[in-house]
Parts: sequence; structure tokens; C-alpha cells
Amino acid sequence: MTMLIHFLQALMIVFGAPLLRGVVSKMKARIQRRQGASIWRPYADLGKLFRKEDLVPPLASPVFRAAPRGVFCATTVAVLLIPVFRPAALLGGPGDFVLLVSLLALARFCLVLGGMDGGGAFGGMGGSREALVSALAEAPFLLGLTAVSILARSTQLARIVDWTLRQNFFDISAVHILALSTLAMVAIAETGRIPVDNPTTHLELTMIHEAMVLEHSGPSLAFLEWANSVKLGLIMSLLIGLFFPWGMAAEPSLLAIALAVAAYLVKMLALALILALVESSIAKMRMYAVPDFLGVASATGVLAVVFTVFGGR
Amino acid sequence: MDLVQLAAGKTFSSSAVFLLLTVLLLAAARRVSTAIILFSLQSAIITAQVMATAYTEKSAEAWVVAAMVFALKVVAIPSALLWLVERLKSPRAIQPSISSAKAVFVAALMILLSYTVVQPYARESRVPEDALAAAVALILTGAFLMVSQRKAIMQIVGLLVLENGIFLAALTTTFGMPLVIEIGVFFDLLMGIFIMGVFAFRIRDTFEHLDVTKLRRLRG
Repeated sequence: MTMLIHFLQALMIVFGAPLLRGVVSKMKARIQRRQGASIWRPYADLGKLFRKEDLVPPLASPVFRAAPRGVFCATTVAVLLIPVFRPAALLGGPGDFVLLVSLLALARFCLVLGGMDGGGAFGGMGGSREALVSALAEAPFLLGLTAVSILARSTQLARIVDWTLRQNFFDISAVHILALSTLAMVAIAETGRIPVDNPTTHLELTMIHEAMVLEHSGPSLAFLEWANSVKLGLIMSLLIGLFFPWGMAAEPSLLAIALAVAAYLVKMLALALILALVESSIAKMRMYAVPDFLGVASATGVLAVVFTVFGGR
Repeated sequence: MDLVQLAAGKTFSSSAVFLLLTVLLLAAARRVSTAIILFSLQSAIITAQVMATAYTEKSAEAWVVAAMVFALKVVAIPSALLWLVERLKSPRAIQPSISSAKAVFVAALMILLSYTVVQPYARESRVPEDALAAAVALILTGAFLMVSQRKAIMQIVGLLVLENGIFLAALTTTFGMPLVIEIGVFFDLLMGIFIMGVFAFRIRDTFEHLDVTKLRRLRG
């Protein structure tokens, strides 16, 4: 029973991720007074791409086609670590937050390899930008997660969520606020949203993710796009689990699970709305301002970790 | 009634955390208007703290002080500063002399410093450590904002943050100064802002910018 729930929660992130993306872009469109595409549009896009031919540049090696599958696999395995409905996950026992960060890093490594193997100029450029952003984002990511794991006295995400679930919502600790602001900034950089990267542009000066996937087509492109939306769902679920887990089912009863699903969907919608608002109101940063942005995240991350010394709560 | 008491206690303990967050955001702010709004937010948090004190100590004077803080620091001064920014027609960007990442690092170090400095004192006297540390951090970062910024308006904001810190320190250690002194301090502050506003206009009219680093050439 519990195994089934853990499996279902991972499946829901993987198969619900395109819907999440559709909802975010619909919200963005409505905020900007546009009609916007249907929220089911990402599924149609994926279906179309999966039916198409996989074109490979003549100079590319087998890495070119393997890389998108690698990205998708690494991201999906990372999803198995995330507690969603219950403070537990399928790989919650053997895996901790370091594994999560390294799986995401592995996915990014494959993505950069695939981008460079295409042989186009944009692939290499996007790859080097992505490597820069990810190298700078990894330190605050680990710092923010370390801070909350020190509070919960465990490196396993499920235990951290379980600990937070048992705390009083009104006992706001400095560590949590600092870690939340750190991870929120990291989340923007990791998922490649405005103001770090714009997922809808193909402008040479600014694109990071789009530059790398430019050479890919057909099923390869579908895997990359799908993995990208799964990553967005994963990181949003991680933020919800770490900082707003109230409503999760403590015991595996049917009623509790149903309530947890409803609470999760409401929280996800609220977070999507915040994301859409931020994306509509903030202009994209210059590429050279990104290290500064992530430097701020590192500073708050260091502060969060040091603050665990001052009494913890 | 119990719930209100609880809320008052929680306000006092958790608002220090939000004050620290506003300090960090102020260090990272890139626009003058953002910094002014952050200052207004900071003053609003302090108002909540004064109100919590007024409720727990049951003092009528503290309610008057809370009303004054709200009227002056949350509404009057920020709107006057925003009006000033509008009228001066200077570029919106702040142009700090160090990058925002470094500024946030410095602000973070100052917060840690204030915690370590305050800890032995707070342990002996029964003063809430978080609030006192936040007060010291506000004083330090206010001074830091004044030296690290180039624009004259940002130095006014730095001074205001510093004053907020002094006010908070008085509030946490002695549950507020006598009302007459508070009124005097507020009047001083208002006059100070008034004079600084006039000065900002004079600097702009004479030099056609507000960059104080360029004022050094006047020497000799």
C-alpha cells in the first residue's frame, strides 16, 4: 500500500509536469491580458514530437541521441526522492539530499554534452553558460538543504519533511526563512525561468537552455522538454515539502491521502501563480548579473547554515 | 483573549527574523524606490513590535508611540522620499560601489557579529536576544548602507535604517523611552529628513547629479 502511494506520487510528478507547465504559461498569458494556449498544449507538443523523425547532425556521435535519454532518466530517478503526499518517498531510505543534487547535476552534465555534441555554435555557447549557472547554483542549493537538514538532524529528505510537519507553523525560525529565500533563488536558476533564463526566447544574447536543445529534434527534443518540465515540478514539490508540508498524510489512510492530494494541488497552484506573477513583473537579467544573483543566494545560504548554531529555532 | 496574548508574544519573537530579512534585501536592492519601500516595510514590522509591547505591558504611551511610528516612518517619510525621487528625476538604479552579492555577504557578517556581541549581554539581563541582535544589526547595516552607497538619497535611507535600529534597541532593553523623549526624537528625525531633502535638491541643482563620490573634487 505505502509502496504503491510512493510510486503513484512519483508518477504524478512525471506525468503531471507538462500540465504544470501549461498551467503556468496559461496564468502568465492571463496576467498579461492574452488568451494563451490551452493548458493541455504541452501534452500535444510532446505527442507531436514523439511521432516525428529524430534528425541527427552528420558529425554527431552516438552521445547526441543518448544524452536526452540520460537527462530524462536522471531527472525521473531524482523524482523518486521527493516526498509529495506522505513524508516518505520510494528511494527515501537509501537516498539523501546530496544524491538529489548530484542526480540533477548528472542530468545537467548530460544536457551540456548533448548540446556540445550537436556541433553547432549555439550548443557550445549554451553549454558553457549552463555550466556557469549550475556551478554557481550548486553551492547555495547544498547550503540551503544543509541548513534545514541540521535542524531536522537528518540528511534524508523524508525525515526532514516529517520533522517540519511536526513543528508549529507559527514558530517561524530564521533558518527556515533564510533557507527558503536561498532555495527560491536557486530554484529560479535551476529551472531556467525569468530572471535567469527565459524558456520562451530564442534570442542569441540571452538563451541558455534553448541554445543547448537547438540541434535536437523529434523524440530527443521531446525527452529534453519533458525532463525540463519534470524538473520544474520536482523543485516546486521540493520547496512545498521542505517549507509548507502541512496537510501531508502522516498515516497511510485513504481519507488522509485524499486530503493530502487536495492540499498538494492547492499549494502547487498557489506556487504556480507566484511563479507566473514573478515572471510577468520582472525583466530578465543580463547574463553578467546572474553570478551576482547567485552570490546573494550563497550569502543567505551561508547565513542560514550559521544560524542553526544560534539555538536552532 | 489568550490568543491575542499568544499572538503578541509571537510577534515579538518572530518579527526579529523578518527584520533581518529586510536588512539583507536592503543590501541587495538595486533601485532607490525598492529600498524606500523596504524601509517602510521594516518600520511596519517595528510598529507591530511596539504594538505587541503596548499590549503586553498595558501602557497607553506605547500605543501613542506605535501610532506615531506608523504615521511617520511607515507612511510620511517613505512617501516624502518617493516624492523626492520623482522630483529629482535622477536615474532609478542605485549604482552601489560594491556588487550586491558582496553587500549581502557583508550584511550577513554584520548580522552574525551582532548576534555574537549581543549573546553574553542577553544571557545576563533578561532581554530577548533575537530582537536586540536585530537592533544591533540594523544599526550596523544602516551605517554600512551609508558608506557603501553613492547616491545622496540612499544615504538618507541608511540613516533612517540606523535610527530604526536605535529605536528598536531602546524598545527591547527598556520597553521604550518616555513619551516626551520619543516625540523629541521623531521631531528631530523629521527635521533631519527635511533638511536632507533640501540638500539633495541643492546638490542636484549645483552638480546635476546625486553621486556623492564626485563631491570630493571640491576640496582645496
